[in-house]
Amino acid sequence: MNDLLQEIYASPLFAVFLSAAAYLAGHWIHRKVGLAIANPLLIAIALVIATIQLLGIPIESYNQGGDIIAMFLGPATAVLAVSIYRQMDILKKNLIPVIAGTVVGSLVSMASVYGLCRLFRLDEKVTAALLPKSTTTPIAVGIAEQHGGIVSITVAAVVITGIIGAMLAPTLIKLFRIKNPVAAGLAIGTSSHVMGTSKALTIGEVEGAMSGTAIGVAGLVTVIFSIFLQ
Amino acid sequence: MKLLLQIAVVFGVCLVGEVLEMLVPLPIPASVWSMVLLFLCLLCGALREEHIREKADFLLKNMAFFFIPAGVSIIEHYGVLKSVIVPFLIICFVTTIITFAATAGTVILVTRLMDRGKEHE
Repeated sequence: MNDLLQEIYASPLFAVFLSAAAYLAGHWIHRKVGLAIANPLLIAIALVIATIQLLGIPIESYNQGGDIIAMFLGPATAVLAVSIYRQMDILKKNLIPVIAGTVVGSLVSMASVYGLCRLFRLDEKVTAALLPKSTTTPIAVGIAEQHGGIVSITVAAVVITGIIGAMLAPTLIKLFRIKNPVAAGLAIGTSSHVMGTSKALTIGEVEGAMSGTAIGVAGLVTVIFSIFLQ
Repeated sequence: MKLLLQIAVVFGVCLVGEVLEMLVPLPIPASVWSMVLLFLCLLCGALREEHIREKADFLLKNMAFFFIPAGVSIIEHYGVLKSVIVPFLIICFVTTIITFAATAGTVILVTRLMDRGKEHE
């Protein structure tokens, strides 16, 4: 019986089914509760982790299907080009604020991470791992590796940052009284990369497109600036 | 058929993105290359929006879903994180909010300065 169960868990179908079910549950709970903290992605991740821990499913089994889902991250990031293209007029009109905002935001992100790492007396390996945390995973991992950072800390920091961004974005927009959708979208994309952008897309078309633009520009700025850090 | 064609187009662009990642010695990931490439294809008219509309909308509308495995992978890294978990979480929280505020503030300030510049012209 146990062997049969383990075999079912190791099927890619199981992980895809579990993830889809957890995501639907996350949306349902989000609608019922209506609070930012009840973020559908956060709930889905928590539900999947709880399920595989409770049932004693090895992470390798989950990854059989998890890797298939993660494969779509590339295409999902690529099609952000479509949402940016749809807002081409707004991008053209705001080109200078777009560049200024993402450049300043990326620099502030790295500077604030560096300052806090010093404050907490974290060592070089952890500091280097955290510095690129506001960019998307592959960029952040590339930069962290070049500077001798611990890559698993980078991956965790990028994901946690993304969840925080997706969770807090609507609250921060209200808190800072941001009425300009261009500013809101750029702030989401610069601070919390693609995961934040997934939330920005649900806030509005302009917010989503600007958040998508910020991923590319902020990534580029972080790459260029980190070359000077060496 | 239409959707299959769209999948072929999007995945094809992503494949070229992967090739670029391998060839260009910068830490720019395939996904960002693909985004730039797809954007340029739309700009120059090599692709039209209707070539990829449904596929793009499906991916954009359900984007958060594809991050579930990345989130779950945190438990694999928990061993390394345990010793720095408190400062780690504080840093992630605080710097995300600071970055958000700095970006939004800069955009609003620059937009205002530019509007004022135009009034003086």
